[in-house]
Amino acid sequence: MEKNNTEALNWVGKRVKRIDGPEKVTGELKYMTDYQFDNMLWGKVLRAKYPHAKIKSINTKKAEQLSGVVTVLTHQDIPGFNGFGIVIPDQPVLCSKVVRCTADAIALVAAETLEIAEQALELIEVDYELLEVISDAEKAMLPTALNLHPDGNIHSHVKIKNGEVDQAFQEADIIVENTYYSPRQMHAFIETEGGWGVMDEEGFITIRCPGQYAYRDRMQIARALAYNPERIRVISSPIGGAFGGKDEITVQIYLALLAMHTNGRPVKIHYSREESVIAGIKRHPFKVYMKTAAKKDGTLLANEVRAVADTGAYASLGGEVIALAIEHSCGPYKIPNVNLEGFCVYTNNGIAGAFRGFGVNQVCMGIETHLDMITEMLCIDPVEIRKKNVYHQGEISSLGHIVKTSVGTYKTLETAENCDLWKNREKYKADVSEPWKKRGVSLATSFHGIGMGVGLPDYGAASIELLPDGKFLVAVGCEEIGGGNGTVYAQVAAEILKCDISQIKVVQGDTSKTIDGGTVTASRSTYTGGRAVAAAAPNMLKLLTETAAEMLEVPASKVEVNPNRIAANGSCLTYQSIFDYLYQKRKQTRVEGHFFLPKEKKEIEGSGGAPHHIYGYLTHVVMVEVDTLTGETDVLRVVSIPDAGKVINPQGLEGQAEGGAVMGIGYTLFEDVLIEEGYHKTRNFTDYIIPTIRETPLIETFPVEEAEHSGPFGAKGIGEVVMIPIIPAIMSAIYDATGARIKHLPATPERVFNALKALKNENIQSAR
Amino acid sequence: MIAGGTDAAVRMKEGKWRPEVWINIKGIHELRYISEKDGAIHIGPLTTHTDIIRHTLLQKKADVLVEAAREVGAIQMQNMGTIGGNIGTASPAGDTIPALYVLGAVFELRSITSVRLVPIEEFFIGPGKTILKKKEMITNIIIPPQKANEIGIFQKLGPRKAQSISIVNVAISLLMGKDRKCLGGKIAFGAVAPTIIRAKKCEALLTQQPLTDEIIQNIGKIAWKEVMPITDGRATAAYRRDMASSLLERGLYRLLRRWENDGEK
Ligand SMILES: Cc1cc2nc3c(=O)[nH]c(=O)nc-3n(C[C@H](O)[C@H](O)[C@H](O)COP(=O)(O)OP(=O)(O)OC[C@H]3O[C@@H](n4cnc5c(N)ncnc54)[C@H](O)[C@@H]3O)c2cc1C
Repeated sequence: MEKNNTEALNWVGKRVKRIDGPEKVTGELKYMTDYQFDNMLWGKVLRAKYPHAKIKSINTKKAEQLSGVVTVLTHQDIPGFNGFGIVIPDQPVLCSKVVRCTADAIALVAAETLEIAEQALELIEVDYELLEVISDAEKAMLPTALNLHPDGNIHSHVKIKNGEVDQAFQEADIIVENTYYSPRQMHAFIETEGGWGVMDEEGFITIRCPGQYAYRDRMQIARALAYNPERIRVISSPIGGAFGGKDEITVQIYLALLAMHTNGRPVKIHYSREESVIAGIKRHPFKVYMKTAAKKDGTLLANEVRAVADTGAYASLGGEVIALAIEHSCGPYKIPNVNLEGFCVYTNNGIAGAFRGFGVNQVCMGIETHLDMITEMLCIDPVEIRKKNVYHQGEISSLGHIVKTSVGTYKTLETAENCDLWKNREKYKADVSEPWKKRGVSLATSFHGIGMGVGLPDYGAASIELLPDGKFLVAVGCEEIGGGNGTVYAQVAAEILKCDISQIKVVQGDTSKTIDGGTVTASRSTYTGGRAVAAAAPNMLKLLTETAAEMLEVPASKVEVNPNRIAANGSCLTYQSIFDYLYQKRKQTRVEGHFFLPKEKKEIEGSGGAPHHIYGYLTHVVMVEVDTLTGETDVLRVVSIPDAGKVINPQGLEGQAEGGAVMGIGYTLFEDVLIEEGYHKTRNFTDYIIPTIRETPLIETFPVEEAEHSGPFGAKGIGEVVMIPIIPAIMSAIYDATGARIKHLPATPERVFNALKALKNENIQSAR
Repeated sequence: MIAGGTDAAVRMKEGKWRPEVWINIKGIHELRYISEKDGAIHIGPLTTHTDIIRHTLLQKKADVLVEAAREVGAIQMQNMGTIGGNIGTASPAGDTIPALYVLGAVFELRSITSVRLVPIEEFFIGPGKTILKKKEMITNIIIPPQKANEIGIFQKLGPRKAQSISIVNVAISLLMGKDRKCLGGKIAFGAVAPTIIRAKKCEALLTQQPLTDEIIQNIGKIAWKEVMPITDGRATAAYRRDMASSLLERGLYRLLRRWENDGEK
């Protein structure tokens, strides 16, 4: 791909408007849960009444007899394997013997109306025997704790050791040690979980349900139904937001099961917000203990980490989340001595799984806060200490592996240092409007792996088809999740095919139209999908040139590909005429491109998949204003400085940077799904507080483009890292403003106020 | 009865309010008015928060109500929600209610056969509870206009700036003399007790000495004694008590600043 970098680019790197923009802003676009059909039925799910209980009996008779009910299903009606889960399928589709959280499903109903379906749920009689509720992850780890799963409550345990940690702590000039708590964040996508299922006369099942990997969803459906996957079509795009929350199966299997029992009538399930709060997966709350050692000159010597993640009742991607957290727990630095360990633990607290950032959010606050503490003790500059400790391309990371791919941290720090907000921070800080308000400016840096780790399959695939009207249909498995990857695919295709972008149509996330190209997760879809398109496009060029050569009876080397035209010897061919020729000869008009993600050769033993081959990097600078009378924190300005490699669409990158910053503000200041003794205290958006436009600051984005040559035109990924360093940056800015350190997120007004109060009391005591 | 429906529809969805019949009163234009008659301001119950915010008469002569209306939810709620509905819901956290307290509002309650006037202090009896009889409705909200030297402010603390239910709120109205001398004032807290609370002890202190920044702080400091908050999902009782003090201090400070900058209105 390198050679493209030197040529002038027409589409890549340009502010190309979203190809799905007009229909989204006009509201014309229909998400899958927006559809209504005349003969449709409504599906509903009966949830567990208790967070932990044995099921003694289930009686569905009364529900079945209710007029308007078409079918009632329980575990007995599952033809195949009664379980799902991306890595370990330990979550029952429908519970038979025991329920482990209030998200558990027990029965399904399909009825003529939503009201009848709801009524039917109330008529299903389930007899329970209550069991002790495990609501604390650390207690769940005790050997005496009641086991939620046969192998115990510790779902996974990962470890990375490097160097001589004990010795390093002895030799250190400075040691800082703290424990951090992070919240159970909700994805809060605009489109709650839902979709459609229908089975036709020939037994072909179609599931329309937003998801992050149609082929894997299909596999999980087929496994539960004991059905030939070739006879199931999953349409998973477009998605009304997911952020990882639709990575796992949501309602696909329920829909398929119901569709088998409705005589060909389509069934719709669409969760209310309240049901989504209870049944949907969440971000893992973590407790992170961290101890960091440094030399007098600010060189980091050692880091010790122990992280405990509450994964709730089932694994989903919990094991992978804790592994990624541990892999990233030392930040983008070279710390020679590390001892890192993480546990993913079962409890009865709902279910946790994938969420933008995937564990890194929870650990980044530790190392970044420690760097700031060390900075303060040693009176050095926060940028300098980071510059001193970051690894560069070709250097050895804290994990002990050589980072071979592009590393932009240093450049992002240089940009941060020179941005207006940082340079003039003293001036901005002094500019408070009222005497009890205090301002702080801080920065933090972090990183995030792109693609899957070692040991997991990771490949991209795309196809390009020449259509009868002379346009190209680019088909990529990765779904349109809201981030604009479809526009990226169109840009890459138009660039290589040398045509106008209006010539490109894109289809995504449909097992009957797109080939298996992996997930839209792990910040991978621009990198992988883009690279797959870039692999397919030359095949299309070849097809076009060879066909033109045949048509014009010239050697292929004489054929020129001009913008929107193919020419040779003075004559021109339109794409349409090439299609006609191919069609008449009954020749293939579709080409494919495949791409295997480069990987590290060896896994770090015990790490659960580390290291990643490629990382994206980002530095955030933020300014906050704290109202010391109330504890309210207002984020006033954010500067986001990503290294996402070559930026394919600056507008799309800014969209991600801005959305990520706001999501990070929500995580740091407001959001937490509260669960007590297994029951949700948070019900809906009345008590789950996400930022509104009034909490949205001025956000500037200054990308540094450290090209990654394995990516399409040098691109890496951006989707997750955009919400990470802002978390410790805000925490640190609150400290800069007030002198109070918040180590328990979210930093709600009450928490900040109490910290300020405690600080005041401390000061009074020490003054005495 | 359903006016803007911004409370009613939510309660309906939650299964809490499910009467057999809803009477939609939103279309009764005769109950949507703001006027000044016989030395009093009259506000129809179907007046929306947006109507209140935009009205110059209220901006001049009921500034604290305008500020409170501005803090209700966000634009959508202000366009749909009515002042009658805010009063009818009788939430301890209802934002316009403390403002109506310090303005000394009187409600006109009517049934087909009766009319009565009830001062606001006698209207609310608990969360969601009022003295409104079965076939009665609020038909007029009457407030004495503020004098030229009367100024008011509304302060709200919620979990975020927009679309949030008050953790604590406070309305303050002061009658100002020369400089920082205060001739009298009213303070009403919301969300810190089953109904709105007048902070009488703090009120008494307002007129003792000129309201310097230091005196303001001292008045704020005793506010926590006047409130009886509870702990709920939004905040603990202890924090609410502290916030009663903070909001009062912040409100008085801002009000005095405004007084000094603008002088008489
Ligand atoms: C997202 C959201 C945010 C909100 N934020 C706030 C906020 O910040 N602050 C706040 O105070 N409130 C808030 N609310 C609540 C609500 O918007 C206000 O209380 C609004 O003023 C209610 O007016 P309405 O016309 O919609 O009332 P409705 O829902 O129509 O009625 C509410 C109640 O009042 C009764 N009622 C209505 N009119 C009369 C009348 N003339 N006489 C007697 N009874 C009557 C009704 O019967 C009903 O019991 C919020 C609501 C939502 C949904």
